[in-house]
Amino acid sequence: MTLDNIKTLEPSQLRAEMQGLKAKGFDYLSNLIGMDWGEEGGLGVVYCVENTATHEQAWLKTASTDREQPVLPTVSDLWDIANIYEREAYDFYGIIFAGHPDMRRIFLREDWVGYPMRKDDKPEEQNPLRMTNEPLADDTTQYDVQADGTVTTKKNVVFGPDDYVVNIGPQHPSTHGVLHFRVALDGEIIRKIDPVLGYIHRGVEKLNESYTYPQTLALTDRLDYLAAMQSRHALCMCIEKAMEIEVSERVQVVRTILDELQRIDSHILFFSCLCQDMGATTAFLYGFRDREKILDIFEETCGGRLIINYNTIGGLMADIHPNFQKRVKEFIPYMRKNIKEYHALFTGNVIFQNRSKGIGPLTKEQAISFGCTGGTGRAAGWANDVRKNHPYAAYDKVDFNQVLRESGDSFDRYMIRLDEILESLNIIEQLVDNIPEGNYKEKTKPIIKVPEGTYYQAVESSRGEFGVFLESKGDKSPYRLHYRSTGLPLVAAMHTACKGFKIADLVTIGGTMDYIVPDIDR
Amino acid sequence: MSNNNYFSGLFSGIKSLLVGLGVTMKEFFTRKITEQYPENRKELKMFDRFRGRLVMPHNENNEHKCIGCGLCQMACPNGSITVTTEMLDTDDGKKKRSLVKYEYDLGCCMFCELCITACPQGAIEFCTDFENAVFDRAKLVQQLNKPGSKVVEKKVAPKPEAPAAKPAPAAKAEAPAAKAAEPVEKKESNPETPTTV
Amino acid sequence: MFDFAKVTNWIDALLLSFLPGWAATLVECVLVALAIITLYAVFAIILIYMERKICAFFQCRLGPNRVGKWGSIQVLADVLKMLTKEIIDMKNVDRLLHKMAPFLVIVASMLTFACLPWNKGAEVLDFNIGIFFFLAAGSIGVVGILLAGWSSNNKYALIGAMRSGAQIISYEVSIGLVMLTMIVLTGTMSFSEICQQQADLGWNIFRGHVPAVLAFIIYLIAGNAECNRGPFDMPEAESELTAGYHVEYSGMHFGFYYLAEYLNLFICAGIASTIFLGGWAPFHVPGLDGFNHVMDYIPGAVWMVGKTFFVVFLLMWIRWTFPRLRIDQLLALEWKYLMPMSLVLLVLMAICVSLGLTL
Repeated sequence: MTLDNIKTLEPSQLRAEMQGLKAKGFDYLSNLIGMDWGEEGGLGVVYCVENTATHEQAWLKTASTDREQPVLPTVSDLWDIANIYEREAYDFYGIIFAGHPDMRRIFLREDWVGYPMRKDDKPEEQNPLRMTNEPLADDTTQYDVQADGTVTTKKNVVFGPDDYVVNIGPQHPSTHGVLHFRVALDGEIIRKIDPVLGYIHRGVEKLNESYTYPQTLALTDRLDYLAAMQSRHALCMCIEKAMEIEVSERVQVVRTILDELQRIDSHILFFSCLCQDMGATTAFLYGFRDREKILDIFEETCGGRLIINYNTIGGLMADIHPNFQKRVKEFIPYMRKNIKEYHALFTGNVIFQNRSKGIGPLTKEQAISFGCTGGTGRAAGWANDVRKNHPYAAYDKVDFNQVLRESGDSFDRYMIRLDEILESLNIIEQLVDNIPEGNYKEKTKPIIKVPEGTYYQAVESSRGEFGVFLESKGDKSPYRLHYRSTGLPLVAAMHTACKGFKIADLVTIGGTMDYIVPDIDR
Repeated sequence: MSNNNYFSGLFSGIKSLLVGLGVTMKEFFTRKITEQYPENRKELKMFDRFRGRLVMPHNENNEHKCIGCGLCQMACPNGSITVTTEMLDTDDGKKKRSLVKYEYDLGCCMFCELCITACPQGAIEFCTDFENAVFDRAKLVQQLNKPGSKVVEKKVAPKPEAPAAKPAPAAKAEAPAAKAAEPVEKKESNPETPTTV
Repeated sequence: MFDFAKVTNWIDALLLSFLPGWAATLVECVLVALAIITLYAVFAIILIYMERKICAFFQCRLGPNRVGKWGSIQVLADVLKMLTKEIIDMKNVDRLLHKMAPFLVIVASMLTFACLPWNKGAEVLDFNIGIFFFLAAGSIGVVGILLAGWSSNNKYALIGAMRSGAQIISYEVSIGLVMLTMIVLTGTMSFSEICQQQADLGWNIFRGHVPAVLAFIIYLIAGNAECNRGPFDMPEAESELTAGYHVEYSGMHFGFYYLAEYLNLFICAGIASTIFLGGWAPFHVPGLDGFNHVMDYIPGAVWMVGKTFFVVFLLMWIRWTFPRLRIDQLLALEWKYLMPMSLVLLVLMAICVSLGLTL
């Protein structure tokens, strides 16, 4: 959608406005996006808060023109997730959030010089390849603005000398990629988790600022590789809406089917990896056996299995393969049968039940405050499905349930995903026989330029709300392209979910949270 | 925990374990799904849309369709294509761009298909080869136009033709090559816009 | 039944004919040690191959099939690889303990291996308190594991070793109690006598009926836990502790742990078949003399190894089906379920035996 009415606030008004919004029920901070509007516009932040009852969104922005030491007030005490988002804005733009308890870099090394997303920053010149180990400080800085306007600093402790800190990751079998948790233990009990991110930070958002629009598409598949379809769908939709391209019904339906196939693919892999993490290697391979069928469908129609590369601005790269419908229709009963096998082998297993029930619960309030969308939020009873709340593609034409559960523990998070496989199969079943005729691709100009403006598009990706925020100055490259990561809130919530549980539960909780690292690090 | 829970929990637990054992025992006797590569090399055929590696098809007269416009080079996000051209004088006195070397670095390619979408002539495509491993990274840089090959001569202006599997690069014929990123010129550096045949 | 003692006596007589008594004993010791080590290695290779194949079959795969026909010499190649790998010297470890630990584990494993009765008259370590010796020798292994965890100076290894210590010591209680249950039935602790008795009177699992069957199941669970195998592989839980206590070991030092793990599985299964399934005693059905006669033709060693591999298969089936327990659940399983049950079984068996209710 086009964001033409972003409310501009002075930094001094921000907190009062935010507190007012929060009191009015805008309790979900979906985006906090650092921005560099140049010399006049200053360095600032775009906020998006959503009312979880009415799904109404409010967009606000604020900026500071001081490029030496831009200070903005924090909102990390209002929304838990703002803590990690503000660290990201600090890392990329050097914006200091007064009152934030933990102003450390998050994706880049602690000894990084400069703030790479600023338009005038020269990261290559200031940061040669360093052969030294990355320092990891045990304390952090808090900046506070005093009444007279001066900024004071204060040291906060992350890990004290008495903490028995174990590094889980970055090379660890159950962190699902190069994720690093520093875990303070008390025997086997977890006392504190501090995620260290950025091991595969590729600067996708920075790269996008120098890419043309078709080129930016190539990177979305590489964010969350289990939500490649949906991420690319979101970006295409955002650009199409900005350029006012109407895609045909056929494209809408095919995109919906493929999104759902991708969701099933992701949830099967979720099941597999959870089994593997919990030591049930056999169930792991059963999941892979079934996922293979989806990958074959993808490969036949799209030419890729993981890096699918199918959606494009104005439609699809190619029409669906003649075998597509046949294969999908074969897959639906096959998968329904095998879900039963999963339940018999793993869900019912007394060992798994004991290891997951009541483990790592997130309450609904916590899930909303941390912005844990997707299955993790729905397990806690938060109806956050973008497909229902802000329908797109063909989701308003199909009949499906938003699966919700109550307790938000590991078992619920697991069950949500297995149930969503069945829901996705229902959606596909409704659509696969009724793919309307139409163009598979609308004509676009050879050089795509998005009209000046600010645009946002969210989709329900495999693990939550994936958002694309695009600010264009009318060029052939975006001025700012931000992706709302689905995994970052989940990692941010790990401390809350794991505290007081055992180290073996960290694996269960992490597995059921279902984060994907490339999507977190971007 | 009450006594009742203790025993019912014990028995339901044992039952769930037995169900699991039953599932694995059933799979023990099910046909296995392993693909026996490389024994099945002959039957193993990739789907025709699979993107293995970029190729430039040549016809029987050793002719290809590439006119050296460099649009693919500009479309590539990773810079894995380098098109080297030269300007030749044609019979009617006009200058005409012609392809000298089409270099493709498989090692950098991310198979996004933008080059193929960008190509106004349908001169390049992905083949379904997947055995691309080599011992030396330098070997991944391939020259796609065969030695001695030349562009296929056409009398009429080419329509944007595309095989069924690929999207038609609509409205590409009139696409002016943006001058910002001119392909590497050899011998002559004539900034004239390339004349499409 | 063929009595292997004839062979050993013949060798003994042969050696004594040209050697003094002490030298003959020495030569015999060396011969027996060589035989044990060879068997140990051979069984390790068979077990690893078997595990890989069986696990693959449970997982809709084929398993190793590249080196040799059906991948039959894959394990040999792996052993060769393991032997040629460098044993890396770690910084900041407790050198002596770090180097000693794998040997303790392998020695414990070999000592218990030597307790297995292979055939009538083919027992290596056999005396009247055989079962006690087996339990005692088996406990040395845990020292090796604890030392490995401690000396590695690694947090993962330490947590793994501590878990392992808690686990093995707990489960030894059940194993001991279950064995006591069977001793009540047999009235002897010598492995050879237990086997002989079963050859004469029928397998213990039939003689002891209900308590014996339950004891067999408890033994399988506890024995599996004692071997640190899934679903009780917490000490090395690769998804939590990467490799647990042996995370800092490389080359053949790691290989010792690997070997010991598989051989402990074999020993656990071997003891189960000795105590419950008759050891080398053939399968007899009372009354069917013809059938029994045919069964007697199958050598005792084949019976012993066959039964052991059957139990190994059961344990592998369990391992490749279930997810791993958590350490507190593991201890709860032992102290809340297995231990009380084995106590009840002990009493039950005593009642059965004293009232003559055994078959």
